[in-house]
Amino acid sequence: MFKSLIAALALSAASIAPAAADTIRVGMSGGYFPFTFVEQDVLQGFEVDFLNAIGEVTGDDIEFVTMSFSGQIGALESNRIDTIANQLTITPEREAKFVFSQPYVYDGAQIVVRRGNEVGIGGPDDLSGKSVAVNLGSNFEELLRELPNSADIDIRTYESNIEQDVAIGRVDAFVMDRVSTGQVIAKSPAPLEQAGEPFSEIRNALPFRNDEAGNALRDKVDAAITTLKENGKLAEISEKWLDADVTQPAAETVPAE
Amino acid sequence: MYTLNLEYMIGLVPVILGYVPKTLAMASAAMVAALILAAVLAVFRVFKIPVIDQLVALFISFFRGTPLLVQLFLFYYGLPQVFASLASIDGITAAIIGLTLHFSAYMAESIRAAILGVDRSQWEASESIGMTRWQMLRRIVLPQAARIAAPTLMNYFIDIIKSTSLAFTLGVTEMMGAAQKEAAGSFLYLEAFLVVAIIYWGLVEFFSFFQRQLERRMNRAFAR
Repeated sequence: MFKSLIAALALSAASIAPAAADTIRVGMSGGYFPFTFVEQDVLQGFEVDFLNAIGEVTGDDIEFVTMSFSGQIGALESNRIDTIANQLTITPEREAKFVFSQPYVYDGAQIVVRRGNEVGIGGPDDLSGKSVAVNLGSNFEELLRELPNSADIDIRTYESNIEQDVAIGRVDAFVMDRVSTGQVIAKSPAPLEQAGEPFSEIRNALPFRNDEAGNALRDKVDAAITTLKENGKLAEISEKWLDADVTQPAAETVPAE
Repeated sequence: MYTLNLEYMIGLVPVILGYVPKTLAMASAAMVAALILAAVLAVFRVFKIPVIDQLVALFISFFRGTPLLVQLFLFYYGLPQVFASLASIDGITAAIIGLTLHFSAYMAESIRAAILGVDRSQWEASESIGMTRWQMLRRIVLPQAARIAAPTLMNYFIDIIKSTSLAFTLGVTEMMGAAQKEAAGSFLYLEAFLVVAIIYWGLVEFFSFFQRQLERRMNRAFAR
């Protein structure tokens, strides 16, 4: 009894004191190629390499927790996980709730249609009267709803498999970040193509709970990201998975929100 | 003409099979808990204990009247907003609790019907030798009711096995979740979901075979 009390005290003390090696619990969907996906039961991708690299810099253990994308924000709030590595875009709504690290991916929103573009979509203006698939709870849903013609767009939210539904013609288009659409088109057998130019700049970062522990973790991880940017490791991870370095702001200035 | 990537499917079989124990563990835990809960609920209803009887009727009505997916979401994503302590419950536990509550409502009704299906003369005979209500139930009625309810309860177990596939919506990587993630990386949706469908089918057939054996044995004493 007494022993277990001591052990419990030691445990709680350990959780308060900044331990030498913490475990950072990272939420990700495991279903977002090439950022986080599974092959033969092995979780891999850009985000997995990136977080492991952060762990190497800070000396912490990284524990990946896979869950549906739409459940991740709730899981972060309720302390089931410590951060989300799922190409989470910085938005005012999310900034009101969480503290973000510096961006580690700069990207744009991209419309993708079935190869041949029979629906004739060249940009967001052409989406009127069309059905467009987006991932549930994603920033792209927000971006579509903010378009001037959003009332005329049939926005359909999905938990997963959006590229499949465009490929088989069930919906006219899907919207995702430009970088992964390029990878999906290259690697997937589905007949798809990009339609028009990216229509909104997005910056993706790691969110943390806005409390003392969350802020401390954010500062630690943020310093590690700076290190990874300076030593070229982050660019290397980007090249490996995306065949491009998307970790720096684009040279041409897209009008940011 | 689409050609199935058989090589990929064969490679995926051991991966998905690796999640069978997790699926069966979830299903078994939910089955045992639901059986116990259902038996208790059924007895309350048979004895028509005031107030409790009405509460049990309400419980059964709710859990039979709403989809399992809605119940799981209510419990896992909804309630923690009100009761912060619930947020510490992980997806697997939440799925097991959800399956237990949902299926106990159905099972309670089958068990109640089975108890009422035991011939009235059995109750009267037990009463004539001075047994209490609980003794009659435990020694005479429930064993006979079990035989009547067994096939239905086995069917619910099979239903539970299939329903564990919904746990992936709570972030649990079970058979369905594993297939979903593999498909997201390979884009071979048809292949991945076919593999998982075939494995579920095999599991259910395996348990159906045992169900038939069990029924035959239980009915042997009553063969005319």
